[in-house]
Amino acid sequence: MSEDVMFKGSRVGLQLILNETADFGNIRDQLKKKLESALNFFSEGTIIKVAANRLTKEQEAELSLLFKRYGITLQAVDFSLQKSISRKQEEIEAEIPGIRETTIINKTVRGGQEIICNGSIVIQGNVNPGAKIIAGGNIDIQGVCRGIVHAGAFGDSNAFVIADHMMAMQIRIAELVARAPDHIEKTKCTERAFIRDAMIVIEPVHRLGAG
Amino acid sequence: MSEVIVITSGKGGVGKTTTTANLGVGLAERGKKVVLIDTDTGLRNLDLLLGLENRIMYDLIDVTEGRVTYKKALVRHKKYDTLYLLPTSQVKDKMAVNEEQLIALCNELRSEFDYILIDCPAGIEQGFKTAIAAADRAIVVTMPEISAVRDADKIIGELGRADKEDIELIVNRIRPQMVRNGDMLDMDDIDEILSIKCIGQVPDDELVVTSTNRGDPVITNRNSEAGQAYRNIVGRICGEEIPFMEFLEDGFLVKLRRVFGW
Repeated sequence: MSEDVMFKGSRVGLQLILNETADFGNIRDQLKKKLESALNFFSEGTIIKVAANRLTKEQEAELSLLFKRYGITLQAVDFSLQKSISRKQEEIEAEIPGIRETTIINKTVRGGQEIICNGSIVIQGNVNPGAKIIAGGNIDIQGVCRGIVHAGAFGDSNAFVIADHMMAMQIRIAELVARAPDHIEKTKCTERAFIRDAMIVIEPVHRLGAG
Repeated sequence: MSEVIVITSGKGGVGKTTTTANLGVGLAERGKKVVLIDTDTGLRNLDLLLGLENRIMYDLIDVTEGRVTYKKALVRHKKYDTLYLLPTSQVKDKMAVNEEQLIALCNELRSEFDYILIDCPAGIEQGFKTAIAAADRAIVVTMPEISAVRDADKIIGELGRADKEDIELIVNRIRPQMVRNGDMLDMDDIDEILSIKCIGQVPDDELVVTSTNRGDPVITNRNSEAGQAYRNIVGRICGEEIPFMEFLEDGFLVKLRRVFGW
């Protein structure tokens, strides 16, 4: 059962991606579930963009109202125009309040759970296979990371991911994606993934004060 | 104090219904008053495993829709007179019962029974949501196979979302030889992902198939390793400290003990 509604961080900001063939009822219900699930940490004033031609004016208005309850503004945008405009990182960050904040999750994130955050995230637990973490800032996993992680989701290529055991299925930083090898061995030390020379590289790090 | 326990898994075919039937019989053998509720509406199986399919007059839907009282719908087991089954409909589907209805029913049953075991359907849709609604605790059944463990992880997440935090694990259908050869996940691998307390390790046993077909749960069979494992689980549920079974030679056995501290 694939999802009809997805949040995605990108250079144009935070987007609401809707399945082409989904009917509006399903979209609205799934959106409600996602927003209620309390796994999304959008700060007040966040702007989310949706493709202008995808919804009717009434549907847009209805979703707008739904988002407003969570302090989010829905903007209908013509993406074909947006793509060619290269935006400054400061402009993007202005639309994404809380990008300098850190949220702490104090339990393991299980398969099928998705955590989206404007700023940085610290996870005091594991990220299990099938879980997804999307952050505008950095991601720090104090446990085993086996899921999908996306740091710098709004284009910040200085963002990084740290994990006690970096065994992620996919590591994404800004626009780059790195895929794990098919057979991943249990790693022995804490590692940090970051962008160097337009590639995602992983290096061991020492946590201060770690046992 | 009566307990409502839901037996769930996510993945189909890992042994929820078998486990429900065996735990039910095991608890009843110890004199507990037990009712088993089949919530797999549409595809019911629990009655077959207990050999009670010919004795069904009314079902769960008749009760939740108010046509009969639950007392009329309960089927008493032919051998264990403190064990009852509330079967479900084979004609309706899982949208036929909702959370409030099951909670109300369980509240009524609590005054009469020590244990209410709910056999949860596979999946995460309405059937699952209804089945877990009234539960005080959950037993997640999985097997040493990657898709079963992934589904179990998802289920544990969904249970957490429904504020069901008392969750324990049974690993079923273990083939010790395959585990030893590295062809099947071992307890370490499973525990790393699921990280919940394990209350049972049940070996794969052909006698389970025969017992299903005969409608006589394997826990009653003294020659069955799976039966023994289920007897041990019942003991643990009743608060006894029982070490996990030895189905292999020393090297692997030591590992099992160390992981779970038993």
